Amino acid sequence: MGRVVGIDLGTTFSLIAYLDAQTGAPKCILGPYGSTLCPSVVSVDADGKVIVGEPARAKLLTQPERTIYSVKRLMGRGVADVQDELKIFPFRIDPGSDNVIRVRLGDKSFTAPEISAYILRELKSWAEAYFQEPVDRAVITVPAYFNDAQRQATKDAGRLAGLEVLRLVNEPTAAALAYGLHKQKRGHVAVYDFGGGTFDISLLKLISTNEGDIYQVLATNGDTHLGGDDIDNALLDLARREIREKFGVEFDHRGEAIQTLRKSLIRAKHELSSAEKTIVQYPLESKGMYIREITRAEFDELIRPIIARTMAPVKMALADAKLAPKEMDEVVLVGGSTRIPLVRKTVGDYFQRAPHCELDPDEVVALGAAVQADILETGVKTMLLLDVTPLSLGIETMGGVIAKIIPRNSTIPASAQELFTTGVENQTAIDVHVLQGERELAKDCRSLARFQLKTPPGPAGLARIEVKFLIDANGILQVAARDLRSSEQHTVEVQPSYGLSDTEIERMLEESIEFAEQDFAERQVIEARTEAETILAATDKALADPRSQEISIAERQAIAESEVQLRTALAGRDYKLMRTRIDEINAATAHLAEVLMNGALQTAFEGKRLDDV
Amino acid sequence: MSVIRSQDAQTEGIPVTSCWNCRAAVTGAHFCAACGKVQPLPAGASYFAFFGLPQKLTIEPASLEGQFHMLSWKLHPDNFVRASEFERNLSLERSSQLNDAYRTLREPVARVEYLLEHLGVRKEGTTKQQAPPELLEEVFELNESLDELREARAAGGDVAALQGRLEAAQQNFQEDLDDVDAELAGLGREWDAAVDFGGDESTKKALLARMNEVLNRRAYIRNLVAGVQKELGG
Repeated sequence: MGRVVGIDLGTTFSLIAYLDAQTGAPKCILGPYGSTLCPSVVSVDADGKVIVGEPARAKLLTQPERTIYSVKRLMGRGVADVQDELKIFPFRIDPGSDNVIRVRLGDKSFTAPEISAYILRELKSWAEAYFQEPVDRAVITVPAYFNDAQRQATKDAGRLAGLEVLRLVNEPTAAALAYGLHKQKRGHVAVYDFGGGTFDISLLKLISTNEGDIYQVLATNGDTHLGGDDIDNALLDLARREIREKFGVEFDHRGEAIQTLRKSLIRAKHELSSAEKTIVQYPLESKGMYIREITRAEFDELIRPIIARTMAPVKMALADAKLAPKEMDEVVLVGGSTRIPLVRKTVGDYFQRAPHCELDPDEVVALGAAVQADILETGVKTMLLLDVTPLSLGIETMGGVIAKIIPRNSTIPASAQELFTTGVENQTAIDVHVLQGERELAKDCRSLARFQLKTPPGPAGLARIEVKFLIDANGILQVAARDLRSSEQHTVEVQPSYGLSDTEIERMLEESIEFAEQDFAERQVIEARTEAETILAATDKALADPRSQEISIAERQAIAESEVQLRTALAGRDYKLMRTRIDEINAATAHLAEVLMNGALQTAFEGKRLDDV
Repeated sequence: MSVIRSQDAQTEGIPVTSCWNCRAAVTGAHFCAACGKVQPLPAGASYFAFFGLPQKLTIEPASLEGQFHMLSWKLHPDNFVRASEFERNLSLERSSQLNDAYRTLREPVARVEYLLEHLGVRKEGTTKQQAPPELLEEVFELNESLDELREARAAGGDVAALQGRLEAAQQNFQEDLDDVDAELAGLGREWDAAVDFGGDESTKKALLARMNEVLNRRAYIRNLVAGVQKELGG
């Protein structure tokens, strides 16, 4: 078995971390570009090559139609769910998509888990390069407020990336774990996690017991579509409006120009975290230059409504935990958006205490995931996480009303048993519809799955089928049914309302193996090319050496011929042919190399002798 | 490994089974006393038995929480990541039962509801929809005020006075709710005494029936309060 890691699969950035056995402390792994942050951006080149992270981010400007960012927003969602986002985000949804969104990147289309799997695979390769050994198991973090479908999609992404997902851990809980380890504090802790695309609030109780420390989540709430992205979009709206009014220029919301503008606005946002004002400059080709000074005060006013939206979930979580703001002993800030001064002030004022931000808000979630990965790897010894399900689980009853069977904020694993029977004579199937949400009507909640319980025909009410709904430690639903009359296990084929079926995942896995082969071929071509270039240069240099005159004309011709052959092979993509040609040129130049080598030795020898005299 | 007795085998009559791993005799315990392996849940055992508690309604919250933490430590799936699939499923089953039991028993009202359901006195999730007779007058007035408020809202009329009336009514019902909770707690103490001193079956039955009636009244009032809250909030 390979190594275990913790992964923060974020909207804007993703990170990978491990627990250092020597120090006992978690650490993030640096990527090839010198940062622990891997931009969650994926780009597919015209030749089908997939690029992830920093180089893909550059492609946002050069080939936006082949590049995607913020794919996390699409995880576990259907087309109908994302209509609002499509107005703002440049997602190119495949028109054939329904309950599983497919995004077009160039001429191919991908599901959100497939795109996320590319990001995971990139991070996995960072860790493998670092450890020099395979990485095959991971703890992956998800927003606490993710529903079943979003969690399942994340788990699918892990599987597609060749990782066994040991556990999905809620991001604020992971942060609390990293933080608690760091501070050794006890009591009530509020984790305010405002990231790139999601907002979570989790309230925890840190308890010391004889066995060790328990991190018990009391309540969680949030908004899976509220984050730094929304702040960027607010800035973008402002700039687009002003550019339209002053210059009469309208942007295509999926074009390159808007990506450039977006990038400069994001830079302005970052600057305003420390500076009181900043200037955005954006060239509009022939129409001139859009120059705009933005002050901190103006920025604060612009984003105030967005930050206000985070407070409703905070209040609900406190109400559910039956706690008052001032009863929190510590407040921890997580996520890049908590660098914004107004966010810090709003949170500090509400809880009446200065929030903690000692740990890097970008890294803390990945660090916590690494801690949990180590716990699962080595066994529960000093710490135990008790998390909750963020949303109530219910089943649809008569008239489309929901009967709640597992309330939100129940510690997971959690379960509920329901007894089903037939309503009319000779009914042979009972339909069950499972949903998640807090509303009273099924149509207002999130459909998770539907399934049918088959029963032999008989009088109404005779059938007695017990269905067990179980939310596991990942927050994912499992369903099992038992016929109480025959006491036989009943098979239930659950059709997820959103997300991929097992068959689809199998197919994708097969394809990804093909992809892996393609990736392998790609690497071989690059390596063969590099080697060939070196040999060709060395050969030319050798032929220019006066001592090369010693070899025969026939030999010279053979070398020239093999050079031509190798150059022809390099123009293609067949790495095996390149290897054959490299072997050939090596054989053809063997004598030449020997001659030059002897000459070199002789010179060295002669030199020695001269000195000796 | 220390062995935790989970079931009050005497009170609940849990059958003796043999450990799936070493065949030693097991009477509903979380773990086998001989080999320490986690055991399947016995059919029909109650949440009370899960915590090794008698079927009584007074439970000390701190000691229940302590038990919950101790059992979480041993039963949580985090401990079984590398165990066989069979054991992983047993851990999942036991730890979900632990969480369900704790969630139910820590809330005094949910505890009574659960006891009544477990003893077959009350059907899960069922509440009578008729108003308790002593509340009829108040309920009439309340519904009238609610209708007036909706009409006034629709017509764009003055709603402030009506809101005041509703808030007062809500306050009244909240007080009723407190009375009901006190009544339920009193019945709970009577029940516990009957259990402790071997009260006869008919006394126990009568107590259960009274608790069920109080629970129905409670559910009804709660719905009213929630309805008013929704109207005032909206």
